[in-house]
Amino acid sequence: MIYLYLIAAQFLSLAVQEYIPPLPYGARVLLLPLVFFYAALAVPPPGMLLLAFTGGFMWDALVATQVVDGNLEISLGWSIVLYAVLGAIMSGFRPLFQRGHGWEIHCLLSGPLICIFVLSEYLMITFRRGGFLFPKIIWWRIGGEGLAAMIVSPIVFLLLHWLALSLGLVPPREERAAAQQA
Amino acid sequence: MRHTNAIAVALFLVVAVALFAFTPRNTELMQARFLGVIAPLLKNGSSLQKQIVGFREGMKTLGELDVENKQLRVELDELKAKDQTLQGLAAENNQLRRALQYRERSAFKLVPARIIARDASTWWSTIKVDKGSNDGVQADQPVLTEDGLVGKTTVVAGNASTVLLISDENCGVAATVEGTRERGIVRGTRTSTATAPDLTLGLLSKLADLKAGQKVYSSGVGGVFPSGVLIGEVKDFEVEPLEGTASVIPSVDLTTIEDVFIVTGGGK
Repeated sequence: MIYLYLIAAQFLSLAVQEYIPPLPYGARVLLLPLVFFYAALAVPPPGMLLLAFTGGFMWDALVATQVVDGNLEISLGWSIVLYAVLGAIMSGFRPLFQRGHGWEIHCLLSGPLICIFVLSEYLMITFRRGGFLFPKIIWWRIGGEGLAAMIVSPIVFLLLHWLALSLGLVPPREERAAAQQA
Repeated sequence: MRHTNAIAVALFLVVAVALFAFTPRNTELMQARFLGVIAPLLKNGSSLQKQIVGFREGMKTLGELDVENKQLRVELDELKAKDQTLQGLAAENNQLRRALQYRERSAFKLVPARIIARDASTWWSTIKVDKGSNDGVQADQPVLTEDGLVGKTTVVAGNASTVLLISDENCGVAATVEGTRERGIVRGTRTSTATAPDLTLGLLSKLADLKAGQKVYSSGVGGVFPSGVLIGEVKDFEVEPLEGTASVIPSVDLTTIEDVFIVTGGGK
């Protein structure tokens, strides 16, 4: 049931982020990766891979993969792999989430992980289009998105976690800590 | 590593690698299907956003509305007059073309569309509109407004389409400059976004004597964009080692447009 909830949250966040206006230098607030990072903390690694697949697939289907004049800019599936790699890093901090340090981990890691994600996308299109261009605006945009993610992440985390607890999809902190000790 | 984890990783890799093998055509079809699924949500979100903006605008006083109404009436009269003049010119143009045994230029078939989402991606400049294949829209059709060129359609679902904006590096438009014989390609730069569009007109002659303010129009070469559609105006001109390059200010404000027209027939 938690997977359905998280997939629905990914889908909804993808739609909502379309309405968030851009920040200076063209940086964006990316909600779908934030939802996925929460999922990486809340579910075990096999579940994280499933959600990396759904999240990456949605990202490629709506945002990243551009078919221009019959050519693919980024192959379908790249975002899925990127999500899985970043999700694996986040998943490594799951024991801390179990002990009740969820939002801090989510907030601290979301920024750097989103910077890596956006930089990877840029490197892929740079490889595809040619011309190794790295003006300052690119770095501002990458850093800005990381910073925006860190600012928004507590809201996303607390909203998702409160809903998951209310629906009984995630056990309370005491139960999670006890299960981890056992 | 536990067995379940190992199986999950193996399964994940198999599926991911299978997706890498998708052809551009299959990818486009899959994107169109997904766009069709999410489009109703985007349309509802867009309507809600409009209602909120409309409510805020509805708070205007009667005096403000009266002034606005008078301005609109004047504009309407002006446009009617212009329309009549243009109709006359179009008829005269067609007569002259016939006289010169040119193919009579067919009128554009325009499908009006509303923007339902402005893309949230970092590196691509695209928008989503509420018209798709059910309305006769196909991929690679030009999109414009009364002010000029906006871009072209890429992914087309039944009830929505993705439009690649002229501010994107991937959207190249063959162009000419008013009052000269210069021809080149207008495209966005890699750092360009819809909010801060940065267009360049490249492949010009090094001897081109372009001045700021000269209009840039599509030339019709390439078959996607019709000729004579305003793209923008020259901001400045630079001579580079191999070519002349001009910066172009787009004629359409890509951040504020709400409605566009998709050219679905003729005019090419």
